[in-house]
Amino acid sequence: MFEFRGSPVSVRPDLRFAYTSLWGHFSRPGPTLDGQQRVALLTSVRDRAAEETARTVGIEHPLGLLADTLYHDPTTVDGDLVRSAADASGDPATVEVAALVSMLSSVDGTHRALGADLEPLPETSAGNPTGEIAEGLKRRRTHLPVPPGPIPVMFDLLPYEGAVYQGLFGPQYMTGWEMALDTFRRSPGLDRAQMELVSSRTSIHNECFY
Amino acid sequence: MLRASSSAFEYGLDLDALRDPAIPTGVPGGNLLLRLVDAVLVRTEPLEPVHGGIIGELGPEALVDAASVFGNFEMMNRVAEVSGIPIPQQGIDRNQGLIDRLDIGGFVKH
Repeated sequence: MFEFRGSPVSVRPDLRFAYTSLWGHFSRPGPTLDGQQRVALLTSVRDRAAEETARTVGIEHPLGLLADTLYHDPTTVDGDLVRSAADASGDPATVEVAALVSMLSSVDGTHRALGADLEPLPETSAGNPTGEIAEGLKRRRTHLPVPPGPIPVMFDLLPYEGAVYQGLFGPQYMTGWEMALDTFRRSPGLDRAQMELVSSRTSIHNECFY
Repeated sequence: MLRASSSAFEYGLDLDALRDPAIPTGVPGGNLLLRLVDAVLVRTEPLEPVHGGIIGELGPEALVDAASVFGNFEMMNRVAEVSGIPIPQQGIDRNQGLIDRLDIGGFVKH
């Protein structure tokens, strides 16, 4: 698993471990979807077919459309698209799908940048959705109910999904502590300024102001 | 973060390179890193020569780091879009010069 076939370089172990763990997370029941639904959704999303197969996955078409759009055309995601999905499928399912698709995008993005074949999605694990949903969160001029705070807490309506998402930062970019250091560098590897060039250019292409 | 870190490393960063990657960034290997992002997202060129350039100038580990940072921001950008996290007006006002310079005013969505 995570051999990065086609990459001209070997990938460091912490990144491979993070992705292997994430694949296990995808395969297991989430707050509103079971493992089979989660993997079926992500499989469809890669083929831009989540809207078409939404009902077979167990979600409504607007949420499938959001999933496809978020993965393939993120610059066109807007409040109307997100709210349509949430109105049809509920906030928790919408947040779960948004988290899954966003995290898949990071793994697939890393593979594409290395010229590696995409990793096949995992076999699924049995079990019912967990129902682990935080209470009391509201839309704060946002499209979805979120706590006050920055981008890393945007999925905290679903605490476990939020924790998994935050766990990807360190291996892919920097931990929270490391982000406080303007002089952070991986050795061997990139320094902070070089990393921020990559992040900035990516964000410009994705039309993300942050 | 880019400006602060470039200053900390005493690089002569030219922010205009973010808008036009033909302009030297002033950061070691910086233009190769921009080319990598463009090659993946906009298919400006094949990956192989960019990979070779990064490996030759910065080392194989740097290519892995660049790819994983790219992956991370593919994720973070989507999270920002789908959550609709608002951009504080103070931040916009404080960075208006940079916004104009990079021509990213259109990224502020409502």
